[in-house]
Amino acid sequence: MATKALSTSIATVSAGAMRRGRRALAPVILMLAPSLAVLLSVSIYPVFNGLWLSLRNTSLVFQTDAFIGLDNYSAMVADPKFWNAWRNTLVFTASSTALETVLGLLMALILFETFGGRGWVRASMLIPWAIPTVVTSKMFAWMFDGQNGIVNYLLRTAGLISGNINWYGSADHALLTIVIADVWKTTPFMALLLLSGLQTIPGSLAEAARIDGASEWQYFWRIRLPLLAPTLLIAALFRALDAFRIFDLVYVLTGGGPADATEVLSTLTYKTLFSALQFGPGSALSSAIFFTEMLIALCFGIAVTRKIKAVSR
Amino acid sequence: MLKDSDTQLNTAGIRRRDFIVTSGAAVATAALGTIGLPTRLFAQSAKTQITFASARFFATDTMQQVIDKYNKSQNSVQVTYVELPPPSSSTEVHQQLVQQLARKNGTPDVFTQDIIWIAEFAEAGWALPLDSYFDAEVMKAYFPGIVEGCTWRGKLTAMPWFIDCGKLYYRKDILEKIGATVPQTWEQLIETAQKGVGGDVRFGFIWQGKQAEILTCDLVSFVGSNGGAILGPDGKSVKIAEPEAKAAVQLMYDTINKYKITPSDVLSWDEEPSRRPFTAGQAVFLRNWNYVWSIAQDKAQSEIVDKVEVAPLPHFAGKQSAACLGGYQYGINAFSKNKEAAVDFLRWLSTPETQLHFATTQGFAPTRQAVFDEPELAKTQPFIQKLKPVFLGALPRPVTPKYPQVTLVLQSEVSNALVKGDVSGSLDRAKAQIEKIVAS
Amino acid sequence: MNASDLVSGPILARRSGGGSARALLLRVGAILIVLWSVSPFLWQLSTAFQEDKKLVSSSPSFIPDPLTFIHFYNIFVIKKFQIYLLNSIIVAGTATLLCTLFGTLTAFALARLRVRYRFGILGLILTVSMFPQIAIVGPLYLIASQLGLLDTYISLIIVYLTFGLPLMIWVLFGYFSSIPREIDESAGIDGAGPFRTLFLITLPMSLPALVTTGLISFIAAWNEFMFALAFTSDIRHQTVPVGIANFQSLYFVPWGDLSAASVVVTIPLVLMVLFFQRQIISGLTSGAVKE
Repeated sequence: MATKALSTSIATVSAGAMRRGRRALAPVILMLAPSLAVLLSVSIYPVFNGLWLSLRNTSLVFQTDAFIGLDNYSAMVADPKFWNAWRNTLVFTASSTALETVLGLLMALILFETFGGRGWVRASMLIPWAIPTVVTSKMFAWMFDGQNGIVNYLLRTAGLISGNINWYGSADHALLTIVIADVWKTTPFMALLLLSGLQTIPGSLAEAARIDGASEWQYFWRIRLPLLAPTLLIAALFRALDAFRIFDLVYVLTGGGPADATEVLSTLTYKTLFSALQFGPGSALSSAIFFTEMLIALCFGIAVTRKIKAVSR
Repeated sequence: MLKDSDTQLNTAGIRRRDFIVTSGAAVATAALGTIGLPTRLFAQSAKTQITFASARFFATDTMQQVIDKYNKSQNSVQVTYVELPPPSSSTEVHQQLVQQLARKNGTPDVFTQDIIWIAEFAEAGWALPLDSYFDAEVMKAYFPGIVEGCTWRGKLTAMPWFIDCGKLYYRKDILEKIGATVPQTWEQLIETAQKGVGGDVRFGFIWQGKQAEILTCDLVSFVGSNGGAILGPDGKSVKIAEPEAKAAVQLMYDTINKYKITPSDVLSWDEEPSRRPFTAGQAVFLRNWNYVWSIAQDKAQSEIVDKVEVAPLPHFAGKQSAACLGGYQYGINAFSKNKEAAVDFLRWLSTPETQLHFATTQGFAPTRQAVFDEPELAKTQPFIQKLKPVFLGALPRPVTPKYPQVTLVLQSEVSNALVKGDVSGSLDRAKAQIEKIVAS
Repeated sequence: MNASDLVSGPILARRSGGGSARALLLRVGAILIVLWSVSPFLWQLSTAFQEDKKLVSSSPSFIPDPLTFIHFYNIFVIKKFQIYLLNSIIVAGTATLLCTLFGTLTAFALARLRVRYRFGILGLILTVSMFPQIAIVGPLYLIASQLGLLDTYISLIIVYLTFGLPLMIWVLFGYFSSIPREIDESAGIDGAGPFRTLFLITLPMSLPALVTTGLISFIAAWNEFMFALAFTSDIRHQTVPVGIANFQSLYFVPWGDLSAASVVVTIPLVLMVLFFQRQIISGLTSGAVKE
């Protein structure tokens, strides 16, 4: 009976909304304005400035400032160091986002349940992410130190390795070390978002599933996961976009080395832009990051908007 | 008539004469203010205002305290300190300095620059040539290597401040135990290192190979110790692929892989990760900067107190020891509107007294050779006194305004050589890239 | 769908035979989470009370011996760490509050009010956040310098607002979209306009999402380093990451001080989370829809 009353109300309200069309515009503008104003005003100049500089050979030191078309881009595309960095960045982004999503989901599922002391467990989960990055980088540098680091010490004591592993001083392990550090630091971000997403799954569905005799696994795979999908995709999207721009961890831990094994696009851009003050090539690199991110976002975005449209129906 | 006592400092540190003048001026200003005459003419302070931008160095005192001392010591110039990030964030210091200087509006009037930026700032026309203020006679008092580093295209564009360079730290107790002398050549070092390891001492020789600026510093030491160079004196001819340089990099590679006196972890170590095993007593030899000494003698930080000595780095047979120069130097803004005031401040900063002050409070090794002989230095920083011979043989890194780009190439290719072992190929590639950079 | 569908608390299904195994798995999982997250921090805690040289000993010990408070003395008395902390709280706190306010308004408008091209606007918001931060530091520094906003709280607050808004808007948009429209519409019958609906009905129901995204943007602002370093040069406005970077003059890294600082920084954040964590998992308040 409540539903019937509701549906008649809905009809009335919708009709009313149509008539109120014009008046509905003012609140929309008021609500959208602050965010859009801030976002656009802060980012428009730098973004266009960056694109503009990427087409020129501006140098403060040598006082050049001429339009050179796509020269910076063609030089960048011909540079094997660029592709090395691009590849490293993609590998890092894919592996860290995937790992963090899986681990984050596991954590969220566990933390969602009621058990004694769960408040403390939730709070402790956030610790890795709360520690300032400047500290985390140095901390991992020391923990994973090949000779005196605690990780090697524990692994040797546990008998898992016979000799010290040269974690980030070896071209083979360095990227792995960075992934581990990033996963430790950022999984809480995913776990938190997914935990909040688990809220939106109606409780009645669990009851229905139980009555139908579905197993825990089926409940998760057939019901929870699909309903969690929008949140999952949004969280993974933002995480991937952030991971693609990783900088602090790499710069402090390895400086992009050894032998460019951990050079990512951000460190390459930082060196070109800040150290060498080459605004043209540096801006071209920034644009490369930007365009690749747009590609990533496009793939995700299409999937997300489809899911949201499906769920809100 | 002013008496002597009026000019002497009283306990409050205010010269009585100044006090009289200032308070008199204050009264006059207040009085005139009430009458309505322009008070500007009788302003309390007729001091020229200049700004001094420096990276944030600190130890037992800070830059602000040094500047306060200058401001109190005279009446004509007032220096405002503009603090830049600490030198550990040197890229940010560089960036902020460049942005300020590129505005060409005269601020900061005086600044400090890392020795590797001097050619760049000079070429850009941001640093004022100082030859007319400090002539060759005056500059003789400084170490020749540092003066060379402060000169670009024959003009002096920076005033030496402090000097730092790579040096060989060694465990004198271990050397005594195995009956070895301080190594002069790399061969001797390798031999001593191999004999000296054992027990807690796991490493023979530690240096820094992280793909960062420090790698270029180590590179310069090794290459220079074989009589080689990275760039020729003209700043255009590239010598990194010459046999001397290749042999030097090969040696770097061999310490890890052939002689095994160096752990492969050095490829990710910079100053601190390489210092820690040494001060924990785990190594025989260490190549590092000045700062390690005071830490090695600190009981809270070090297990090797009183067991360490310092010497110039070894060299290839028949060649000379080479150390890589570091340290910040002063510069004056070419567009400064108060050049005379800036020069006055710079002169004060460059006096032996101020250099001694920096040496005793911050551990900054003086660039004036004579200051090394000061008895106060012997008392508070005896270590610095020992370093004079080391500094005499110090070499700057390649002097070119394109240094930032050159060093990035060196870091990448030398790291490649050290990881993959293809020394010749990597250095040839480095030469090709650097030639393109310095030619344009 | 009725109101009870909206209550999504945790499900403690007592399945036959699987109940205790499940509880055991949960316990093990929780313990693993704590171990994984907290052990490096415990190591930091231990280091904060130890002498620096103990760090490199061949047999590291977790119990400080000898116990020393010198690092805490160093960071508070000598390096005035408390000033950096205060600055960080002001900057991150204000940025988060504004971000939450603006983000909520925008997300609500896009999710609930008929906005044309709303996915276009969402896409634009996302795009704006995709430009690498290292590339925008320079131009923003120039603008800030010309506007005289260097060494102020405002410049950092605005920048952090910009970084936090896209995620806030997207997540809240997703959250609001999943709330059944009937709730809004029943409020519409009562005569509530969009603002009333938002603040009186939607927001109270969205506490989990709000607290979550608020925490995320707070921590992001708290940890941000590059802009803080570029925009501030005076201790009166510098934030914690810059303060910590300032511990190192040229080469020497005072490791014990660093550990003490990270402990000091983490504990208030943990307390904050402990306080708010109940809101992260809370059932949606009932009474939104009168049956």
